[in-house]
Amino acid sequence: MANVDRIKRQLLRDLVEQNVDLIQGRRSRPLRRRDGWRLAARVASVALLSLGLFGSSRLISTLSVPPRAAVAAAAVSPLASAASRTAPALSPAPAAGPLVPPEPISAAVFPLAVRKIVLDPGHGGSSSGTRTSQGLVEKELTLDIAQRLRHLLEQDSFQVVMTRDGDREVPLEQRGQLANRSGADIFVSIHLNWIDNRRSRGVETYYLGPTEDPYLTRLAASENRDSGYSMADMRRLLDRIYAGVRQDKSRRLAETVQGALFQSLGKVSPEVEDRGVKAAPFIVLLTTEMPAILAEVSSLSNDEEAQLLTKPLYRQYIAAALAQGIRAYAEAVEGAPESVPPQEKGFDR
Amino acid sequence: MSEKKEVLSVGIDLGTSRSSISASNGQRHVVESYVGWPLDMVARKVLKKPILVGHEALENRSMLDLHRPLEEGLIKDGSEKDEAAVRELLRHLLGLVGIDPDAHNGVKVRAVVGVPAEALRVNKQQVRKALQDSVDSLLIVSEPFAVAYGLEALLHTMIIDSGAGTTDFCVMNGRLPTEEEQRTLTQAGDFIDEQLMRLTREHHPEAKFSIHMVRQWKEEGSFVGQAKNPVIVTAPVGGKPTQIDITQPMRQACESILPPLVESMLDLLSRVQPEYQERVRNNIVLSGGTGLIRGLGPRLEQELHSVGGGKVRVVKDPIFVGSDGGLAIAQDAPDSDWDRLVG
Repeated sequence: MANVDRIKRQLLRDLVEQNVDLIQGRRSRPLRRRDGWRLAARVASVALLSLGLFGSSRLISTLSVPPRAAVAAAAVSPLASAASRTAPALSPAPAAGPLVPPEPISAAVFPLAVRKIVLDPGHGGSSSGTRTSQGLVEKELTLDIAQRLRHLLEQDSFQVVMTRDGDREVPLEQRGQLANRSGADIFVSIHLNWIDNRRSRGVETYYLGPTEDPYLTRLAASENRDSGYSMADMRRLLDRIYAGVRQDKSRRLAETVQGALFQSLGKVSPEVEDRGVKAAPFIVLLTTEMPAILAEVSSLSNDEEAQLLTKPLYRQYIAAALAQGIRAYAEAVEGAPESVPPQEKGFDR
Repeated sequence: MSEKKEVLSVGIDLGTSRSSISASNGQRHVVESYVGWPLDMVARKVLKKPILVGHEALENRSMLDLHRPLEEGLIKDGSEKDEAAVRELLRHLLGLVGIDPDAHNGVKVRAVVGVPAEALRVNKQQVRKALQDSVDSLLIVSEPFAVAYGLEALLHTMIIDSGAGTTDFCVMNGRLPTEEEQRTLTQAGDFIDEQLMRLTREHHPEAKFSIHMVRQWKEEGSFVGQAKNPVIVTAPVGGKPTQIDITQPMRQACESILPPLVESMLDLLSRVQPEYQERVRNNIVLSGGTGLIRGLGPRLEQELHSVGGGKVRVVKDPIFVGSDGGLAIAQDAPDSDWDRLVG
């Protein structure tokens, strides 16, 4: 009894301290950082459970945690990972004029924390996105993954805003405007790919920039179909792109998320390809005023991927990989000095 | 300024579906978490009240701008009306135990309010804001912690508190649970209602029913595993009251929360220090309205077989277990601590 009283006294003391912190606006821990072994234990227990839920021995045997350090390193050292790439030419000049390279601005000038994240589940309402003959629909899967991701990010004390939380049509430009209005720090749009070569099962992540790749042009045209923007609007929007900082941060975010996605999902399905980080002119990225990416987290065109996507645990795993990438990016921009962005021109994957 | 002498302590379980209050003056009340404002002058004249709360609001919903201000156990974000609704709900609860929220009748009111385990800081601040004018001092606790405290299940225990909006998990190790020891799932009573609504529509497309009817059916006939009796309910078909069999949809809907529940339970257990895992496995407490689903406790025990077996105890009085725990905290906290929790 004396033991219970002692425990109660200690509990009450801690509880009161916690509440006093709340009243005084003190924040004891902005982000939860998990120990590696705890994370490993969590994944191991999820993997064990999957035995009962799915009976997929292959999935279980291959589940493991993406090396966090590697993901974080990608966020901190963009130069290393981008060394072989060239940066996109930004801010297209008026149609008749020549392209003028923008003045690069060091992202190190803005070492700001990531607090609020806008998640954008692709498509919705009458815009279904891609679908399989078995009835898997992109808009439903992206929403499910985004909801799972929201939960994970909120556990980490991030504020999360969703562009849609149901089967609702939200015009592309409104998604960006919502993110701008909400004062978000980063914007993550979630999509599922459809690749002509149906044996391909890749993950890829985009940030805003021009492309000459005909495949990316087609993809962007397809995703931008319902934007309602005229060419003049488009030019004005492109002019608004802030050359150095946002682009560079977007690319870093894309690299970190892509790294986490590939490392994580590659363990589950070894055939998953790293289709890399790419620049493409998606409207939804164009209208945002913060670092923004569009992640193609899986390929619905591939039968095995489609089959895996029917499993809640696989969708949870995708969400966890995205969360890990976002977390690593947030920790990197908050905790490490940033390098000056590369000043190359053009971009290829 | 005269110093208030008398102290009234209250514990409040602010639930998505129902909210309960337990007070140190012996009063305990539960209300449905609904608040409604008359839609127009006619409704106001008929209802004779500017605001209706709880069952009364639900009963007269056709004449009201009805709000269920909590979502997944938290104040809905963004709507001033929902914030006003939660204020009214709390004022109503305080009124039920004899506190005039404006004057306090000369007593000092100390309140402990339970929120979901993983409620964010911003949500806790919303609760604090909603209550700041109605109580003198306020302590916000995680709901499963309040349950654990009330049951004195403070050591090597897992609490699974499943209500309407959330299912909250918390492992008690004799100290305040860390984030790693708590979990909140949105798979709870409301989730089952949605599933039951959808599945019943699929099975009986000709029947007409509302979410309120579905909720009532669930409260009367929910189960997992083998049905003891067929679940037969009455719903209008072509305008005529007709009996329909919803045994199968009921089972499917109730069992839809099992995978995440089991996953979280096993995951949290795996994080307990190895030497205490067996004790925690044998000391699992299932509380909350959704915890009353017939067969849920035994089913969870069945799932524990894979990790060495365990025992799940179902709390018999889930309605007040959270608010009673809150009251116990309120009464145990010393005056000096309450003085720090003003404002």
